[in-house]
Amino acid sequence: MHPRFTHRFKALRDGFAMDRELDAEVRFHIEMETEKYVRQGMDPAAARTKALRNFGPMEKHKEEVRETRGVSWLEHLTQDLKYGVRTLIKSPGFALLAIVTLGLGIGANTAIFSVINGVLLKPLPYDNGDRLVLIQQTAPLINRPNFGVSINELYDYRAQLASFEGIVEFHQMNFDLLRRGEPDRVATGVVSPNFFDALGIKPILGRAFVDTDDDEGAPAVLILTHAYWQTKFGGDRGIIGQVFQMNDRPHTVVGVLPPVPQYPNEVDLYMPTSACPFRAAAERQVAQNRRPFLVQVFGLLKRGASPATAAAEVATVAAHFKRDYPDVYRPALGFHAQTANVLEQLTARARELLLILLGTTGLVLLIACANVANLALARMLRRDRELAMRSALGAGRGRLVRQLLTESLVLAVAGGAFGLLFAWSTVDMLTKFVERFTSRTGEIDIDPGVLVFTLLVSVVTGVLFGTFPALASRIDVANALKSGGKGTSNTAGRHRLQSALIIAQVAVSVVLLVGAGLLLVSLYRLQSVDPGFKPERVMSAEVFGNFTKYPDALATRTLYLRLLERLERASGVISAAVTNAVPLSGLQPGQARFQIRGRTYDTPDARPTVDVRVASTKYFETLGIPLLRGRSFTELDHENAKNVGIINEAMARHWDGVDPVGSEVSFDDGETWGTIVGVVGDVKAFGLDREPIAQLYRPLRQGGHIAGRALVRMTGDPSAATTIIRDAVHSIDPDIPIENVRTLDEIRDRYLATPRLTALLLSVFAGLALLVTITGITGVIAQSVSQRTQEFGLRMALGATQKSVLGMVVGQGLWLVGSGLLLGMAGAAAFARVLKSYLYGTTPTDPMAFAIVSIAFVTAGALACLGPAWRATTVDPMTALRAE
Amino acid sequence: MSSRSRLDLLQGTLDLLILKTLALGAMHGWGIAQRIQQMSEDVLRVNQGSLYPALHRLEAAGWIVAEWGASENNRQAKFYRLTKTGQRQLREETELWEQMAGAVARVLKAETI
Repeated sequence: MHPRFTHRFKALRDGFAMDRELDAEVRFHIEMETEKYVRQGMDPAAARTKALRNFGPMEKHKEEVRETRGVSWLEHLTQDLKYGVRTLIKSPGFALLAIVTLGLGIGANTAIFSVINGVLLKPLPYDNGDRLVLIQQTAPLINRPNFGVSINELYDYRAQLASFEGIVEFHQMNFDLLRRGEPDRVATGVVSPNFFDALGIKPILGRAFVDTDDDEGAPAVLILTHAYWQTKFGGDRGIIGQVFQMNDRPHTVVGVLPPVPQYPNEVDLYMPTSACPFRAAAERQVAQNRRPFLVQVFGLLKRGASPATAAAEVATVAAHFKRDYPDVYRPALGFHAQTANVLEQLTARARELLLILLGTTGLVLLIACANVANLALARMLRRDRELAMRSALGAGRGRLVRQLLTESLVLAVAGGAFGLLFAWSTVDMLTKFVERFTSRTGEIDIDPGVLVFTLLVSVVTGVLFGTFPALASRIDVANALKSGGKGTSNTAGRHRLQSALIIAQVAVSVVLLVGAGLLLVSLYRLQSVDPGFKPERVMSAEVFGNFTKYPDALATRTLYLRLLERLERASGVISAAVTNAVPLSGLQPGQARFQIRGRTYDTPDARPTVDVRVASTKYFETLGIPLLRGRSFTELDHENAKNVGIINEAMARHWDGVDPVGSEVSFDDGETWGTIVGVVGDVKAFGLDREPIAQLYRPLRQGGHIAGRALVRMTGDPSAATTIIRDAVHSIDPDIPIENVRTLDEIRDRYLATPRLTALLLSVFAGLALLVTITGITGVIAQSVSQRTQEFGLRMALGATQKSVLGMVVGQGLWLVGSGLLLGMAGAAAFARVLKSYLYGTTPTDPMAFAIVSIAFVTAGALACLGPAWRATTVDPMTALRAE
Repeated sequence: MSSRSRLDLLQGTLDLLILKTLALGAMHGWGIAQRIQQMSEDVLRVNQGSLYPALHRLEAAGWIVAEWGASENNRQAKFYRLTKTGQRQLREETELWEQMAGAVARVLKAETI
């Protein structure tokens, strides 16, 4: 080995041993030198002094020796680390405050990043995820993005698309699964037999579907999702081969899926297409009908096929549809087809929000950095003597800067560790929140990628806030040593730096506070929205009769009429109703086109659209929807009577001020007509933030729909209705499952939970920012007061009143707050625009939010200064002046 | 002793003198400084602060090696010893020095016009 290398290696290995050797060597030298002078007749003490003086600045020489070893950076680092930890332990208050501040900042970022990593960044856990696309049809002109694909179209795509090696379908149906105990209504994914092979999902138990499962007369089979298997069967591995009754047929469980995210819906179990009665019906009509647009389509690209080519092929096939079937794909639809990325679609609603949150936590971290930089700067003032001493003993400026940066890094890494704890304890909560926006939350985890992120953020943070004190470490040695630690020549520069940091903190906090303020103002307005019905004391439940037992409208109608009769007889029930849509329960509006008798329309597409709902006789009474004109439904509006309807105010506007009661509308090109018998108030059925749309209610006994939702208004506690509904249903048919039993207040609360949580989350971050900034202001003002003690003493001696001193100090603080506010407002306006789609009845420049934030900040700022200001007024002029 | 008579040593020159001193036998740091002073009849005076960095530099270059041993007054001291490459280096540097000293001397002796 090369001697230089061995030397280095040895040095690296025994750096500290060599330090000890060097000490011994130098000690020996001094002793010999001292002895020499003693032999020359000097007195021992003087001899030693002379020997030491001969040697010169000892530490500097030792340092030079260390540097010749070539590995001194590592030793410096260990030395700096030891020294850093030691000094930090000596000022635990500063260290703790810095670590907590940084920890919260880093922790918040870590938590959000772990969510972003698990939701947006990790590839889908499907083997073929990288080759998978969605084939989506859209009709933008009638506002129907992704309206689905028909069986006919699916077959055309399969036949005509060359870039794909597999094209599979999915649609969701809800069926009754009968097993031990209560019947269960299960969300069922109906899929092509090669669906899981195409996606690249292998069952963890049993097998995937095979082509023969789809054969005519093949035994019906089911595959359970992981979540359903866990919650309903406790992960029982003996589930394979068990038989359940479904749609009046035995179904055998053949497999269990791994826990993977599902698109477009999370379902409980899967069945092959042949087992779905609706799908079978659509199949029988394939020859004569290109509707209904029932399924979602996944395409697996051939290996090496270009996604762009595939997209072009899809567009071409769709263009041919338009050319070949102009009556189905009318120009007024704007029909076309495109490919879409599964991961993007799966996480589309979460993406923007997560990025906003990451931006928010990023800003919080910046504030934390500025705050710790300020703390460190304040500490530097007290450390001037220490640093000057080290400088006098031979530490170069580079060495000092390195030392200060190491200290910052120690703090930042400790903060990062605290942050990890914080993230670890909050990530579950965050995951629950994000579940509202995407079903892909199963892979959120604090994994090695997240750890690397945290480490990186910590190091960058340390460098960021460590640079300020390091820059300010230029020291006038003589002055610092002389002045007894009361501040040095560049104090003024440091004050400017501190003020700038505070102003920046205030500005960034203002951005966050305005954002949170806007969301809160918007939430308040949303909560005060009158939904158009009275949700108090009303219970709702989903009650679907098994459609093999209740195959048509007549059978279900009989079921519901019997149910209503029993419900209304029960004690505590004021009224009961059956409908097909509970307001605010997340349904999408229907878009049936109608015509008013006596009016002409240029084309069928020029006719207005309406959302049609089913209402039993006491529906409006039960929900507390006011009847404005005409009459409500009665027992006489039955299947053999004249068709009638009740419309809402939004629909009544189509009559241009004329009373619509008594006029007729048609939904089938004038073949049949129904009479409007009443007008009721508008209901915010599809969202408190959405303007009411035209709605028409048909009586239960005339509606062709399966209704499925029971509503009960109670005299007292609505929870009593749970058993009333269950008993009533099961006394008619014990095989009918009762699902989603919820009060209307609960449904409204669920609807509001998302904006409430979003506002809460942003408010927590903004509050954190405010807190950190306010402590920063207090710290800087307090420090400035303690440095100006003599000045204040002098002022008071010269006749300044307590009030004027108080005003001076608070004024200094408010100047900082005011400058920050002005700067922050500009930033806030930009941030608010990002939030626009989350605001209801609130513009991004809502003066209310801005005013609240300004007042709150000025008040908080003034309060933050009061403590230090009070101390300034209690300075005893004589003591202060004598101290000089 | 006037400060004039104590010449500070040029970098490189010190290295050469250390090597030369050690060519006479192993020696510890203080001894090297003393010996250079004695041999130069007190004209050359080693800045003690630069002695140890120089020793470590030479050690790092592999020209000398150090080991602990007992000193003349029976105390533990670090003794430096010339290596084979150190001997070669000494020869080369001595040659170089003599060339340079000769050249400088010639320049200084030149008659002024």
